Amino acid sequence: MNSMTNIKYVSSLVENRFKVIKKEIVSEYQISFEVDKDEVHRLLTLLKLEGWIQLSYLSAIDWINDNEYELVYIVMNWEKPVHVQIRTRISRENPSMDSILPIFPGCKYYEREVHEFFGVKFPGNPEYAKQLILEGWDDIPPLRKDFDPRAYSDAHFAKREYTETFVNLNNEKSKQVKREKRKERIIRVRKGGKK
Amino acid sequence: MRELKLFLGPQHPGMHGNASIHMFVEGDIIKRAFLLPGMLHRGFEKGMERHTWVNNISLIPRVCVVEPDINEMAFAMGVETLANITVPERAHWIRMIVLELARISIHLMAYGGLGSPTGNYTMMYHAHADRNSILNIFEKITGHRVYHQYIVPGGVRKDLPVGIEKDINDFLDDLESRYVEYRDIGIENPTIVPRIKDTIVLPSEVVWELGVTGIGMRSAVNKAYDLRKVMPYARYDQVEFEVPVASYSDARSRVDLKLQELVQSISIIRQCLAKMPEGDVRVPLSRGQSMRWTVPKGHVYSCVESSRGEFGYYMVSNGGTHPYRVGVRGASYPQGLLGIEKYLPGTRIDDAALWVDTMGVCSPEIDR
Repeated sequence: MNSMTNIKYVSSLVENRFKVIKKEIVSEYQISFEVDKDEVHRLLTLLKLEGWIQLSYLSAIDWINDNEYELVYIVMNWEKPVHVQIRTRISRENPSMDSILPIFPGCKYYEREVHEFFGVKFPGNPEYAKQLILEGWDDIPPLRKDFDPRAYSDAHFAKREYTETFVNLNNEKSKQVKREKRKERIIRVRKGGKK
Repeated sequence: MRELKLFLGPQHPGMHGNASIHMFVEGDIIKRAFLLPGMLHRGFEKGMERHTWVNNISLIPRVCVVEPDINEMAFAMGVETLANITVPERAHWIRMIVLELARISIHLMAYGGLGSPTGNYTMMYHAHADRNSILNIFEKITGHRVYHQYIVPGGVRKDLPVGIEKDINDFLDDLESRYVEYRDIGIENPTIVPRIKDTIVLPSEVVWELGVTGIGMRSAVNKAYDLRKVMPYARYDQVEFEVPVASYSDARSRVDLKLQELVQSISIIRQCLAKMPEGDVRVPLSRGQSMRWTVPKGHVYSCVESSRGEFGYYMVSNGGTHPYRVGVRGASYPQGLLGIEKYLPGTRIDDAALWVDTMGVCSPEIDR
């Protein structure tokens, strides 16, 4: 199959020159490599010279239990159609990663977004610290796992009270009883009881 | 001449959705420009981490408001790759029908949207009337008009209703018979052609710099770079269609490609209706409660060809009932943010709305 030869081509290309921590063939059009932080730029440059000229996606994942962030770069080659995921782990304390702006100019806004939502710094990208989407944000970056949206909303917005009383206009007793029974059942099921 | 700051905000008929372009103009010429997103940020990526895999089905169509089906397809494909689910044969064909109907609807909407910045509202009314017929078909198939929640992991929610083939065929015949009229009212119309010809040119060298995909890329590089062709999903490898391309990307050629894609979509739907086998449309995800369904560990990037380009979901599972991280690659991210900043300066004020319309900048998927 043509697509599998492309996968083999990428995998030999990368594995011969770089120390790959983990390789995974996700599907017939996608492969992922986990590499060291220092090798990302060289690897991306190599892939760009070999035809992976489009940066499809750049983002981060917060692995709070390992105290690490994982950065993901996805590049695409239209002649040899394979998406290559390149993942690398950086420390969660004072996270910083050199920008890939000279290699892929399209990363400019992706890096700004990652800084805004995870707090990762990108030295080399002159505008990475400008706010993009969250205007006037005054808390820790929101896509971190230790950010609690409910606590934030309780602290910032007025609490809304919901009344649960029904007005029984026509004295429909049967409906009222049914409704209460149903409510009891729902609460029982939610607490782990039987239907 | 004095430099002025001008907003092309959500109130302008040429601006699609809740974003605004800040322009610094001297006379009629834009000197600097940038897009201000954030008015539509709803925290979907955080919200998806807080919902189960099955709950998320109702959340994802909202990511792109006008084209919800591609979201469902990308999400379903990602979950199927992670959980190693084989989709029934008939479901693939039904998915293709829904996706292509959605593509016709969004291309019509974008084509009609060209009417507002160029001042020809007639084409907008025509296009929206036809989009309404598609929404009627969707209502019969899925029960909903805009957010269908029809394509789910494991297949589609239910089979096509009896007799829907006639509705679809009637609509396609009707649309095809008026195709020439559509061209005449819009891109062949002498009042519009001077506005869209040779304006907002996207040179082929900058396509890779920006990362633009879809019609913007194909109209510039003259290659059939379509995900349906190069990495076929569903059953796109079993239908015959052409990918229209061009070598000079101005507003007119991009709109022209949209109309040509419309014809290809019509042909794909007809082939689907003819080739579709009988059988099941959905495999059950689990034998127990669907809310407690877990997805195996893994990272996957699943992408589909939307009307604006490569639309993808990056999904991470840690083996739990909730996704660990879902990232959305909005198809209009490059042309919306970097494209406006770099390639709008030097053009006239009235061309800004043409860039937004013909490149397809969709603010909900930039904000998420």
